[in-house]
Amino acid sequence: MEIFPALLSVITDPMLLFAIVLAAAVGMIVGATPGLTASAAIAMLLPITFYMSPLFALAFLYVIGKSGRYGGSIAAILFNTPGTAASAATQIDGYPLAKSGKAGKAMKVATISSVIGDLMGDIMLVVGVGFIAAIALKLGPPETFAIYFAAFVVIGSVIGKSIVKGLASALMGILVAMVGLDPISSEERYTFGSFDLSNGIGLVPLMIGVFVLGEVFAQLEERRKASGETKENESSADGNDLTWEEYKPCLPHAVRGGFIGAGIGVLPGLGSAIAAFISYGEGKRRATNPEQWGKGALEGVAAPEAANNAVSGPSMAPLLTLGIPGSTIGAILLGVFLIHGIQVGPTLFLTDKELVYKLFACGMLGIIAYGVIGYFGATQVARLILKIPTNVLYPLIFMTAFVAAYSARGSMFDVTVMTCAGFAGWLMRKFDFNIAAFVISFVLAKGAEETFRQSLLMSDGGALIFVERPIALGFLILGVGAIAFRIRGIMKERKLAQGGLGDA
Amino acid sequence: MRAYAEGLVLAAISLVAIWGAWQVPAASPGDTWAGIVPFAASVALLGLSILLLVGASRQPAGPAPTSSDSAVTLQIVGLFIIALIYQQSFRWFGYLLPTAIVAPIVLYIFGVRSWIGLAVSMVICPLVFHVIFFVLLGVFPPYGEVFDLLSWIQG
Repeated sequence: MEIFPALLSVITDPMLLFAIVLAAAVGMIVGATPGLTASAAIAMLLPITFYMSPLFALAFLYVIGKSGRYGGSIAAILFNTPGTAASAATQIDGYPLAKSGKAGKAMKVATISSVIGDLMGDIMLVVGVGFIAAIALKLGPPETFAIYFAAFVVIGSVIGKSIVKGLASALMGILVAMVGLDPISSEERYTFGSFDLSNGIGLVPLMIGVFVLGEVFAQLEERRKASGETKENESSADGNDLTWEEYKPCLPHAVRGGFIGAGIGVLPGLGSAIAAFISYGEGKRRATNPEQWGKGALEGVAAPEAANNAVSGPSMAPLLTLGIPGSTIGAILLGVFLIHGIQVGPTLFLTDKELVYKLFACGMLGIIAYGVIGYFGATQVARLILKIPTNVLYPLIFMTAFVAAYSARGSMFDVTVMTCAGFAGWLMRKFDFNIAAFVISFVLAKGAEETFRQSLLMSDGGALIFVERPIALGFLILGVGAIAFRIRGIMKERKLAQGGLGDA
Repeated sequence: MRAYAEGLVLAAISLVAIWGAWQVPAASPGDTWAGIVPFAASVALLGLSILLLVGASRQPAGPAPTSSDSAVTLQIVGLFIIALIYQQSFRWFGYLLPTAIVAPIVLYIFGVRSWIGLAVSMVICPLVFHVIFFVLLGVFPPYGEVFDLLSWIQG
């Protein structure tokens, strides 16, 4: 019920409304620009939020994240280049539709489905987050550590191409977070006698380095390898309008996608790409016209788009209730909370409940904003993106990264950290390591260490405390089960590939 | 070859991390050792690097990198070196002068060949960034220890 006064409060604040609409437009442009991600945009804008009120800052970046997820579909449908990993599933049917002159129709289906999925996810978040927070308040350090452990393992093993590299990325994130003074005993760790390192590695410069400068390095590589230019697929005279009769068969797929996305969104680290592909697969399995899927079925656009966007809201649940970010955008938003001195976790709903519900209200209004802009102006956004000279854009982003990293704390050491993190981020991308696992683990590491050591103190140094408590044991088994499940999946894929080759 | 290199680099990182964790002094009575998490994480990383090396020994040799791949990698390393010099030069020359020099260089690397555009970027880039971050947002600009253009302009 807290959401209604929050909505009223946001609607009556013209500055906040303007920020929401601006964020919706910015997110859409960023998401639709191939090579630019919402994470990069949010990381770049993070230092500016130092100078804003907490709600204004959080709402602005949260809506950019939401709108960015949707914006990926514009590039997928109109340019055959997914703007985000999640929109690769939308591309399967979206691009054939665009090629047959139905780009406008496909975009409208993507927009409506995104709005349906995103709103479903947000409603589930608003309804469920209070319950999760109430349960989280009752968890002790061993249970909380077990949840952290499960999050590390799931994030490291489930996303990315290689389990070993994913887990290694997560471990490297933990090790980088350990640099500085130990929060309990104040002993120096990995400082090598440097005063700067004793303050630890800052979240903001690390994020800017990995997501912004690392992306610039990656884009330089892409530009040298790529050939040809991107062209927009225009709509034919009857390919722009969408009728209710055309959207009606898409609706069940959008609603199902919304449930799939919301379910996956609650689990840390899985992300919208997995949700989109599961929803696409499930939609095709249940479709009355499966032979049309992959060749240009509108339902094939609705299913992944709804799931992709439905992830956004529920992915905030573990962040707000447990302090565990479910995605890279969540990790950056955690930085905003910390910058403004707001402690994220179950107590957030006791100390800053009003702020949380206002943020949800801003998210919902953001969905409507990008829905309206996208429904009537997606093709104009696409044309604008084609006019952006990327050879000017990326150098500007390069230089913004330095001044943004400096602005966060006025520290030159942060700029050095950002530069090194950028190169490390590019290397990780190049060698298929998992950047999301690295960053999320970096953010989680301190909390995990604290709860781990509190648990050891509770049990006089005995690690059996994690096995003796059923909830903690359950989460530990979940983590181990996630790895086993992934290994089984990989073995199955290998067997299929070998079988395929054998048949050939 | 690439898989071996990945495994070896990871093993080197984990060995340095184990050594670093080992330097953390022992815990006082009734407390937990501050190096327990770094040590556990670095040992786990060493285990994963061994898995990578074992995996690499089973893989057939991949294709050798092409000359174009090497050229691109060299360009990125070059841009990284420029980035390192750029951030270091803030300490020596403040924000404006290094930005005025680096802006056209990076634009050139990304393919801008208009000499007028490059010349304009020398003025526009430092000016715009200075106004947004150091004037509008009120961030205190980095001071150049050797020569500071901003101080010189302001007299």
